[in-house]
Amino acid sequence: MEFAVPTVIALLALVAWRLVFAGIQGRTQLEEITRPQQEQDNVLEQRVRPYMRVIAGGGWNAGSYGIDLIGAESRSDSYLRRIVTLVGATKRGNSYVLDVGTKRFLVRDRSVRRMRNASDPKCGYEETCFYSGFQGMPKGEQIACALMQLRRNPQLFDRWMIQRDIAFKADGQLFDRVR
Amino acid sequence: MKAKILTFSSVGDTTLLEYDPATADMEEVNRVIAEYEAKTGAQPFDLTTGERIEKVTRAETEILMVHPLAGG
Repeated sequence: MEFAVPTVIALLALVAWRLVFAGIQGRTQLEEITRPQQEQDNVLEQRVRPYMRVIAGGGWNAGSYGIDLIGAESRSDSYLRRIVTLVGATKRGNSYVLDVGTKRFLVRDRSVRRMRNASDPKCGYEETCFYSGFQGMPKGEQIACALMQLRRNPQLFDRWMIQRDIAFKADGQLFDRVR
Repeated sequence: MKAKILTFSSVGDTTLLEYDPATADMEEVNRVIAEYEAKTGAQPFDLTTGERIEKVTRAETEILMVHPLAGG
């Protein structure tokens, strides 16, 4: 009996040590898993991220928002269809035709054409690329943003074409260099 | 009924703010939007009409903050 008490104490100490050790090891593994995802954001996201926490009260990555990325892609298509209708565009192949005044744009994934003559598709066009500062934004949402911005301000096309890697707000104001 | 302000980002559509338009302090909502625009360059559009919003009122219930695009 006199050996039972020290034996139980030693056993409890061993269990406690194992639990503490397992906790430290688990935390180290968790940091290793989450760090690469946090480091992949680009300059714009680093600017947005702290502010997003303030408003939304959560983290930035998909896990902390509980966002289903497959669902997000599907909702992206749904938002695109909705915005295409709103701005009066029409789908033609993998492009979206948008008429703004006398200008006709063909918008597709990260690329937009401005037809020289809206009534004659054979008369040639100018073309430029566009991109969002958010790497990996679903393509439907990028196209939707471009359609909304061009409808609001068709002169953005010239800015995208001439001033590359400079981000412009929807109203045409210069925002910042993205890269 | 709830109103919401959302944006498109790397993880798809993301709700930034939800509020009750009947009771919300609209000055505060507009202040949040102005601060978000100052930080990110995103500007508000009404997702019901597709129009750019200068000042949010209780009538708008779904607002999309459209981030700047760059040419490249």
